[in-house]
Amino acid sequence: MLKSKLKEALICFKNLRVTLPYPFQPAPPPEGYRGRVEVDVAKCIGCGACAMACPPRLINISDVDGRRVIDFRLGRCTYCARCADVCPVKAIVMSGEFELATDDKADLELTIELLMVKCEQCDRPFTTQRIRDKLICEVSKGLAIEAGDVKWLNLCPNCRVVVEVEKISGTGA
Amino acid sequence: MQSWRIREPVMWLCEFITGNRKTYGMNLIGGVRRDITRKQSSKILEVVEKIEAQLNEVIHAVVDDTTLHLRLKNVGILSKENARQLCSVGPTARGSGVAVDCRINHPYAAYREVPPRLITMQDGDIWARTVVRLEETLESIKVVRRALDQMPAGEIMAEVREIPPWREGVAYVEAPRGECMHYVMTGPDNRPYRWRVRAPSYANLQAIPVMLRHNSIADAPIIIGSIDPCFSCTERFEVVDVKSQQVKVYTQQELLALSNKYKRCSKAN
Repeated sequence: MLKSKLKEALICFKNLRVTLPYPFQPAPPPEGYRGRVEVDVAKCIGCGACAMACPPRLINISDVDGRRVIDFRLGRCTYCARCADVCPVKAIVMSGEFELATDDKADLELTIELLMVKCEQCDRPFTTQRIRDKLICEVSKGLAIEAGDVKWLNLCPNCRVVVEVEKISGTGA
Repeated sequence: MQSWRIREPVMWLCEFITGNRKTYGMNLIGGVRRDITRKQSSKILEVVEKIEAQLNEVIHAVVDDTTLHLRLKNVGILSKENARQLCSVGPTARGSGVAVDCRINHPYAAYREVPPRLITMQDGDIWARTVVRLEETLESIKVVRRALDQMPAGEIMAEVREIPPWREGVAYVEAPRGECMHYVMTGPDNRPYRWRVRAPSYANLQAIPVMLRHNSIADAPIIIGSIDPCFSCTERFEVVDVKSQQVKVYTQQELLALSNKYKRCSKAN
């Protein structure tokens, strides 16, 4: 009885204070920590991969007036980092920031607006300028053709089909 | 308090391996998202060794403490028959001598290769459940060591493209509190359509009325605490009008309205 009490007292005296002086001194998270989502607006091309992957569906993508609006409502974020995993241009990274308590919802909201390209034939906006530019760059690299040859990238998917069908039927006739 | 101190390095370790203290986000359909590096595995062994020594220190001090014996023995007894009938799981059942453990009864993941030792106590009181938990912590440390030692190298993720909708899956795992069941139905767009969890606290809470019977009110908190309940895991409540015995079920809209009402009150203050 007394022996176990002494043992318990010894443990307590050996570990006097173990709490960290956290709010007064910073407590940096370890490497690879998944904190607040940080979006590099300059890199985002507006492809929407993050919106597809996001489990709580907090990323909303809509096309309004020739602009693609990407809306992040980070209040619902579960910090799973799936968006960062799937982002093709690495525009999303998980920062080490974890002190996110706020009384203003707007602190956890982020909106990106990207200009869209209009289809050369039907004049409807169909993709963002950044995706088009990236495609022009990648396609000419991959197929070793001049950037000027990839005019169909300025057409919307519907008009592309129409143009291709016309081309095929035209050559067949 | 001392056990919280010993636990904290484990939380830091989880943060270091997975990227978060609690919501690990490690499992994905097809595999796991992060591999365990050599640096991480040596760190795990280092932390595990430290907590094993500290835990043994505490266990040796606590097991002979007669004050604790007086307080915890013969209090909140759950007999073996009752534990079976009420489908108790985890340490609650094992403290009453029921040998149930998913990791042993139907091994999943790698538990066939690194089986833990089943720990049971016959008394069914709070002390028995406490001892089961303490010994299981040491057993888990052994499992961690063996798993790290035997872990094969190779790919950690298989590529899964389309997930067919309207298929169902059920999985059981042994959580620290007992058997945890997850059911999922797949939906369109590679997303789950329905997901239902039966956390161990739900099964264990059914035994609480039996445990509380013939005990004093002062014993109630430690009896309830002895199943290590997670009330958010049980997640069900009924509103009963005592006079009319009518049960009211709240809809989502009603609950939202209630929470908005409360939010406005707190802002005004």
